[in-house]
Amino acid sequence: MILLFIIISVVLSVLTFFIKHKIVNIISTVLFSVNLISLSFYAYLHIDKQDSIYYKFDALGVIMTFVITIISIAAFYHSYIYLKRKANSESQKASYYAFLFMFITAMLSAYFTENFAVLWVSIEATSLFVSLLIFHSRTKDAIEATWKYLFVSSVGLAIAFIGILFLSIIATDSGVNNLNISNLLLVSHNMDIVWLRIAFILILTGFSVKISLFPLYTVAIDAKTIVASPINALMSTALVNVGFVGIYRIFTIIANTESLHWAQHIFMIVGIISIFITAIQLTRVKRFKRLLAFSSMEHMGLVFIGIAVGGIGYYAAILHIIFHSFIKAGLFFQLGSIRSFYKSIWIKDTGMYFKLNPIGALVLIIGLVSILAIPPSGMFVSEFMIFKAMFINGNYWEAIITLILLSFIIYIIAKQTFHLLFSDIENSMLNNKALANRYEPLSQFVLFSLVIYLGINPPVFFTDLINASIAILN
Amino acid sequence: MTYLFIILYAITLIYFALSERVKKFVWLLSIQGALLFGVVFFSLHKIQMFDFIFILVETILVKSIIVPWFLNRIRKHNHLKREHEPTVPVFYSIIVVVISLILSFLLSNQLNNNNIHTQYFTVAFASILFGIYFIIIHKNIFSHVVGYLIIENGIFLLSLAVGSEMPMMVNLAILLDVLMGVLVLGVFINRIGDTFNSIEIDQLSKLKD
Amino acid sequence: MISLILIFISALFFVGIITKVKAKIAARKMPSVFQPVYDVLRLLKKASIYSPTTSIIFRIAPLIYLSTVLMATLFIPIGTNKAILSFEGDFVFFAYLLAIGKFMMIIAAMDTGSGFEGMGANREALYSMLVEPAFFILAGSVALFTDNISFNDLFLNLHIDSNLSYIIGIAAIYVLIYIAMVENSRMPVDDPKTHLELTMVHEVMVLDNSGFDLALIHIATWLKFSIYGSLITNFIINATWTWYWQIIYFLGIQAIFAIIIGGLEAFRARNKMEKNPQWIIMLSAISVVVFLTALIITQKIILN
Repeated sequence: MILLFIIISVVLSVLTFFIKHKIVNIISTVLFSVNLISLSFYAYLHIDKQDSIYYKFDALGVIMTFVITIISIAAFYHSYIYLKRKANSESQKASYYAFLFMFITAMLSAYFTENFAVLWVSIEATSLFVSLLIFHSRTKDAIEATWKYLFVSSVGLAIAFIGILFLSIIATDSGVNNLNISNLLLVSHNMDIVWLRIAFILILTGFSVKISLFPLYTVAIDAKTIVASPINALMSTALVNVGFVGIYRIFTIIANTESLHWAQHIFMIVGIISIFITAIQLTRVKRFKRLLAFSSMEHMGLVFIGIAVGGIGYYAAILHIIFHSFIKAGLFFQLGSIRSFYKSIWIKDTGMYFKLNPIGALVLIIGLVSILAIPPSGMFVSEFMIFKAMFINGNYWEAIITLILLSFIIYIIAKQTFHLLFSDIENSMLNNKALANRYEPLSQFVLFSLVIYLGINPPVFFTDLINASIAILN
Repeated sequence: MTYLFIILYAITLIYFALSERVKKFVWLLSIQGALLFGVVFFSLHKIQMFDFIFILVETILVKSIIVPWFLNRIRKHNHLKREHEPTVPVFYSIIVVVISLILSFLLSNQLNNNNIHTQYFTVAFASILFGIYFIIIHKNIFSHVVGYLIIENGIFLLSLAVGSEMPMMVNLAILLDVLMGVLVLGVFINRIGDTFNSIEIDQLSKLKD
Repeated sequence: MISLILIFISALFFVGIITKVKAKIAARKMPSVFQPVYDVLRLLKKASIYSPTTSIIFRIAPLIYLSTVLMATLFIPIGTNKAILSFEGDFVFFAYLLAIGKFMMIIAAMDTGSGFEGMGANREALYSMLVEPAFFILAGSVALFTDNISFNDLFLNLHIDSNLSYIIGIAAIYVLIYIAMVENSRMPVDDPKTHLELTMVHEVMVLDNSGFDLALIHIATWLKFSIYGSLITNFIINATWTWYWQIIYFLGIQAIFAIIIGGLEAFRARNKMEKNPQWIIMLSAISVVVFLTALIITQKIILN
């Protein structure tokens, strides 16, 4: 099924790329969305089933697929608006859609893959396609960001590949001849610890490019500063989830060995350092996209802390990453709309948004409340669970440090957002030709209310999926 | 016989450290590709037609012909200076190569794992270390791509060292990914060269707050 | 004894062949192969002139130089033709014999008090210092490979067991050729034809030597070429071959070596002076590679 999905996507992408026509763009987008939805339902119905030798529909993959499906459909709509505003040529539009399809396809392949080598191939493919999308605006900054992203992620993934090769050494030692995750899990308890640890560290370092966590976080932040908002919504959510899935797969293997606590310590260190860096960097941030990008880094740090603590932390981490995806995507979509009201994207050049576009401002305020994890946001639930797990587990110091850093981060994000909403600016800074699309905030409302709903009253199939995805760790 | 190719491969690393001409880097990469073919060819136990063709394509065609040819085009397109002086004197670079070789030899002895072939592992690991060092000491993005390719060659050798039998499909996909990556990187070098009129890394420092 | 005679014979022709090749490539009229010999014979008839500022060191230095080189020649075997002198670890002695001669030349150059000669001595000292590890690591790795530590046994046993020795041999020959070039101050490091004292290395050191002394220095240079040529030969010829084949091979390889040097000098430009150290250290780096390969092949060191 996945192979069929990939073939259809490639065909659609190639057609869009070469025909370069408005109608074709729309038709192939609709077809791709149908393709995406049908794959996610097929995956849900065939959960825990093998699909060809390289893929398996596991619970985590299904969750991530639902997330990416919802965000992608919204992203298609916002891409349409974005491209209309930018008045790009037809061929630019066509290549945008074509690369977007391939990008989403590569991410899906990464979610469902069962084999570490295929995982690596898919992730490398995501960085290739996303770099083409980063380059879309063709400005000097875009070239710089593309180069940095592509180069550093290539080197990072090369490091991850070394880790995967080491993993294959251990696999051969334990009598497994391939890199299938389920086979590795079967023999993981008698693996050589030292090698497994080296492989774990290398893979964590390599995939940190995607998840934009310490150590290789900078390039992803730089890329997110430049890239168009709809792509940004995918990069900060679905692509981050790809990195998470990659690291989670190796974690499930190491969790079966006596090195579990060691790996959790590493996660704790990485998480806290990432939040610390975020707090430092946010003091100097001057652009909204960077603000949101660093906010993603903070939430990923929290997710890692959740996994590091274990117990209900696992559940909270998965919940947190889902909620983060929805809210961050919504905020980025709204940012695309905000962008059209101003001539510059720097924070100092913006203001009075409440007057200019009250509905948009409402979306922004709800988004702010949600991303800061203030009730009724679903993120409050997940963050609360993470801290609860920390206190139950006895990680008092870590919890206190994290809380202090978080309050600092909340202060800066709120301050900058209120600046955008309420501060006075000169009329010369405004873009008078701004066209507020009436239906634009709709998708954001849907995403935010989804988070609130899932946080307050999670449906049974949802909790079941999360429990199934962390079942292997308990 | 593989020993000969491995020695020669190690010597190419030393020449990478020694040379300062961009043209020479491309030549050395091409030679490395040919040497890798030799290494693989003589380490095969039994030659199957499909394996043989795949290896031939991967090493000779891609690593030794297509990529260097493409890099040469980029070099000419951007009117690269004949010489690019690294930030670290060559004298120290050569010492670094030797140290990385010795280090990885000691490491491969230390690991003492039956599934690792020491001879490949030493060179492979040294190649990866040196590739990273090469990227650090050079200030232009063309040389960075060369460094990345040195790392890739090292990883190729490492995959021989661990002797993991990845299925052909996966191997093919990896090869395709890496090739695509190099081609896209090359296209962006041209873009940067056209836009910034230079491919020095100092130019790329606008993206920060 | 045969090896000594062979080395002397080849030494007579060596520099002649080099100049002949260079002349041929440059399309000049070729001098006779014996032209260097005639030059030296002419010099031998002349008396030396000594500057009043020099001391006894300057006078004895050329003699010591030649005698150390002659002494070193005694340790070189050719295939099964044993060297006259041989003991365990003689290659260390060999290296330091050559070093003594060089040391004497260096302090003699300093003795003259000339600024140019001091500069040349400085460079020569630096290059010999840098090239020393290359020779020792190379000799060490061959010793490791064959489990012998004298030139005689080392080369006798080199090709006995397996063909792997040829792999080490190829790299060793490559390094040895360039060591010979550095030791004799030839092309990539130093240009013997140069006329500017500032760019000279070896030539500037012997500016003040004349007549008989200069002839001794020239003879020592021939011998050094021949010594390195025979070391290279030893990496190629196999001890199981019959004696006349070994001799034919020896003469042939010496001739080819001379032709290679001539070609190198004709086609290559001298390195920039500041690039010489890094170029020489590269030789040591390659010897390290050879050493590691020898370690891997013999599996001598397995830690833990």
